[in-house]
Amino acid sequence: MSSQFKQLEKLGNGTYATVYKGLNKTTGVYVALKEVKLDSEEGTPSTAIREISLMKELKHENIVRLYDVIHTENKLTLVFEYMDNDLKKYMDSLTVGNSPQGLELHLVKYFQWQLLEGLAFCHANKILNRDLKPQNLLINKKGQLKLGDFGLARAFGIPVNTFSSEVVTLWYRAPDVLMGSRTYTTSIDIWSCGCILAEMITGKPLFPGTNDEEQLKLIFEMMGMPTEATWPGVSQLPKYAASSASFQQQHPNAALQGPKDLKELLQVNCKEKLDDVVINLLHGLLQLNPDMRLSAKQALHHTWFAEYYQRPTN
Amino acid sequence: MSTPSSGTTQVNNNNNNNNDINDTPTVFLPINFLKCSRSDLIVLISRMLVFLIQINDNNAKAEEQKDESAETKLTRFHSSTPPNISIYNYLIRLTKYSALESAVLLSSVYYIDLLSSIYPAFTLNSLTAHRYLLTATSVASKGLCDSCCTNAHYAKVGGVQCSELNILEEEFLRKVNYRVIPRDDNIMLCKFEHQQHEFSTTSLNVMPKEFEQPMLQRNSGYNVLGMYYRKMILLIGSFSSSPDKSRKVDYKLEEPQSNLNNTSNAKVELDLSQNGNPRPANKRPYEMSSGNNSDAGTYQRNAKNNVSEMNHNKKLATTEIKMRSND
Repeated sequence: MSSQFKQLEKLGNGTYATVYKGLNKTTGVYVALKEVKLDSEEGTPSTAIREISLMKELKHENIVRLYDVIHTENKLTLVFEYMDNDLKKYMDSLTVGNSPQGLELHLVKYFQWQLLEGLAFCHANKILNRDLKPQNLLINKKGQLKLGDFGLARAFGIPVNTFSSEVVTLWYRAPDVLMGSRTYTTSIDIWSCGCILAEMITGKPLFPGTNDEEQLKLIFEMMGMPTEATWPGVSQLPKYAASSASFQQQHPNAALQGPKDLKELLQVNCKEKLDDVVINLLHGLLQLNPDMRLSAKQALHHTWFAEYYQRPTN
Repeated sequence: MSTPSSGTTQVNNNNNNNNDINDTPTVFLPINFLKCSRSDLIVLISRMLVFLIQINDNNAKAEEQKDESAETKLTRFHSSTPPNISIYNYLIRLTKYSALESAVLLSSVYYIDLLSSIYPAFTLNSLTAHRYLLTATSVASKGLCDSCCTNAHYAKVGGVQCSELNILEEEFLRKVNYRVIPRDDNIMLCKFEHQQHEFSTTSLNVMPKEFEQPMLQRNSGYNVLGMYYRKMILLIGSFSSSPDKSRKVDYKLEEPQSNLNNTSNAKVELDLSQNGNPRPANKRPYEMSSGNNSDAGTYQRNAKNNVSEMNHNKKLATTEIKMRSND
């Protein structure tokens, strides 16, 4: 460890690293130190190469800044902007007894706005995050929210043929990816944003599946089973036939059931009165057909955010 | 391809029009490199590298004659003697056993200019080319593709110790400051960071004039690899102008459809940015043998299959090669 930083308490274990709080001894500013062990077989982990090469270019107030990378003999230390908490831990801390609580709606709106701002910046820079979830959204006491983990991210302008479908934590994974699509693009992150919005409202994950099949089942039960009419090309996806068959077996009348009323379902777990505007945004983000989902930029122009974009710019 | 070390500006493109008997077959390559078969791509890249190696070897010899005390600057990429496997065969070996994608192969050419721009001691020559290629292709695979192998695997295929590849990888990443994504302006930004001794241009308040336009516009283009591909075809597509005689074939770029002349460039860029499904490559009589490893077949496996295929390939890689190092 470079003597520039004093290592303080452990903040957590990431997918491929341990994160400590650190103090920049010259400036007195706190940082997050992400330590990556260099395995002798693997060399520098590909996740670290991705995260560094992508994040070093992203300068935006809703994306955690990567200040530096320090090489030492058997580890790599990434020096990040320090944040107090993450959205997951914050929501967990609000739990009363065994029942999770949603955030106040004005805070939900502020967080969702910042999430979409950060994401729109990634997408404009041709970067897919591919792992949006509350754990990866870092927050501080000022109410700022920043995207914080780019270990699964990739630049989408570089034409490579292997696009993995093993991306995004299951609960936040889009139905097209779950059915095996490899041609996904920015819409993959938008689905995750929809799941996160619903989770902030109720405090509960929207689709808490335990495996791919159950995940698709939960999504279809709520949003309806997609067909060629609602989603042209869906039947060509590798796992469509199987998931469609098992869904119809379990729900013989599903074809007659449209999507469920999201407002009604979320209202049960939300103390404030939900209006149609936020539900409309949610539907825009959670379109089964990826081509129908809003872009991050479009979502920022949704009426629900009118108070932000109508604010005079300084 | 504009750095002095690559010396590509000095080329005379020989059109061969005067040949009465020209028995060299001509192959028209698609404008989109994703549609180009990897065996053709390997021929092109091998020709390009051999071309650069020849120039740099000759330059070094000339300098030695001028000044006998001149020392060659040794880098981590140097071997003590040239490895006895041709660049062409080495590329085939790496591509086959490490399942290198087209974008990775092209990045290895792009990285020559990237690395030379901030590391003048490095030149691609007969002593550095193999280690350079191994490092560049493994770093590009890890940085750009969703499925990649461990350094232990890359090292075994490439004929070096894994510990050595680890050092080469670190050296490479450190030198180019992790700028491994072949975006527009990447080389200029890399140089700028290097001059300013800064980790990232985002921590600078002063940007060079060229970059005063907004961030979003700067990073919107990703045509670098396509540009390298098309330039290589122009430069060493013709068999007679290439010093590498591994394949007797003339390459030409497919003509854009005539009625679309104005829109064709825009169309290519679109194609490149879509990561569309692979299309079957133009098959050639000399397509690389192992069927499951060539082109379309390779593209469609998922990450899991990829791992098992890698293991399979590990077993296949029985003919071991070893490169002697200089230490």
